[in-house]
Amino acid sequence: MSSGKLHFIVIDDSKLDCFIAEKIIQNTGRCESVKTFQQATEALAYIKELGAAAAATIVFVDIQMPVMNGFEFVEAFEALPEDHRKAYSMYMLSSSINENDIAKVKGYSSVKQFLNKPLTASAISIVLENY
Amino acid sequence: MTARDKIKILYIDDEANNLISFKAAFRFDYNVLVANNTDEALKHLHNNPDICVILSDQKMPDKTGVEFFEEIRPSYPNPVRILLTGYADIESVINAINKGHVFRYIKKPWDEQDIRSAIDEGYKFYITSSMLAIKNEELQKAYNELDKFAYSATHDMRGPILSVLGVIDLAKNSDNIQDIQDMLGMMENAMLKLDNYIQNIHDYYNIRRGEVKITDIHFEDIVKDMQDIYEVTSKLSRTAFTTGTSQPEAFRSDEISLKIILNNLLSNAFKYQQKSKQDKFVDLNIEVAKGIATITVKDNGIGIPESSISHIFNMFYRATNEELGSGFGLYNVKDALGKLGGEIAVESKEGEGTVFRITIPSK
Repeated sequence: MSSGKLHFIVIDDSKLDCFIAEKIIQNTGRCESVKTFQQATEALAYIKELGAAAAATIVFVDIQMPVMNGFEFVEAFEALPEDHRKAYSMYMLSSSINENDIAKVKGYSSVKQFLNKPLTASAISIVLENY
Repeated sequence: MTARDKIKILYIDDEANNLISFKAAFRFDYNVLVANNTDEALKHLHNNPDICVILSDQKMPDKTGVEFFEEIRPSYPNPVRILLTGYADIESVINAINKGHVFRYIKKPWDEQDIRSAIDEGYKFYITSSMLAIKNEELQKAYNELDKFAYSATHDMRGPILSVLGVIDLAKNSDNIQDIQDMLGMMENAMLKLDNYIQNIHDYYNIRRGEVKITDIHFEDIVKDMQDIYEVTSKLSRTAFTTGTSQPEAFRSDEISLKIILNNLLSNAFKYQQKSKQDKFVDLNIEVAKGIATITVKDNGIGIPESSISHIFNMFYRATNEELGSGFGLYNVKDALGKLGGEIAVESKEGEGTVFRITIPSK
């Protein structure tokens, strides 16, 4: 089903990084909608609210955030019922060069891939080839 | 020597006469505690964490001295253990060393000089091993901080750089001047954040490694400096900045540490305001009385969630998503206060504001 339109969610405590991701996503031509959240808790509430009604969505989540970090977010997401989760494809982003973080990402079955920051047009186009 | 300077020792023996003669012989040289059973000895150990040397009789009705030493070693590993016994068979000596980890073994009836030298040697050993334990703890703390530091540095220093690179990439492909203008503003913020972080690191090392320079402090001058620094911030953010100073007596302290403390608390007070709120304020009040300076920084900003209050002084802890926080500021405040012998208390209510109250003694 390549080249169909997709929904996007970006979770990053940095306003600037949300803005960058939003722009790049809009420029791909594959964007049906993009929502940005500076707090992971709000993104989680949004996903819960949509419930099983959610359409195919790509999620980019930053690892290091205050209050609820990326790992905590993924753990909370994985605790949701299966039919609430099936629409989402999760990608984790970080500026950290920490091997532990990168290894930890592999432990989460719902996370497709770890991406380095900053998100670039070419990185996103590679991701989108799968959809 | 006063009782406080004397080495504190504990002697356990089931025979009251031995306790009396021991105390009579050594009370002038040592701070002697005695116990005629092991329960009493445990109470002494519990109430006197500064006991350096424990001497115990081997043959007691409830348990042997070796058994007692073996039992207390996990909870009280530091005091040096000396065993006194009239029945010196090789078996009990081996047990004493292997199980009780005794430092010396003294035969009864004792010779005063033997006891004295055993206590003094034991005390030396106690001091050396305690110092080592303290140094090891400090070293471990430094390592932990270094780990955290390396981890955070990649995020907090690379973060803004990567953001700016991302924006540059976007801007290169845009012909919309307004968009590019907006992006420049964002890049500026990212760089300010990085700069703020680097200044915090500078403060951190100043406090950590810098010498404390005690001089006469004139709080009016310091407050005037703070007014100058925050004048623009106050105007731009429409937050009133009020100050009060009362210093009827001389006060001595380290000016750089004081300024680091005030700067961090004030910049937080201005940063964590409720954007849309009317009548925003930050109030700084300093009063000196009876050799103690009481500094109060009060705001009606966003406040701190109750669950976060106990963590706010930890390195890199951030209680909110506010973008410019580095998680470094209050850690530096606490560190600086530690150097000045000061204390800090915080009262806060979410949505209503925060009060930091600091007390610092004059040096």
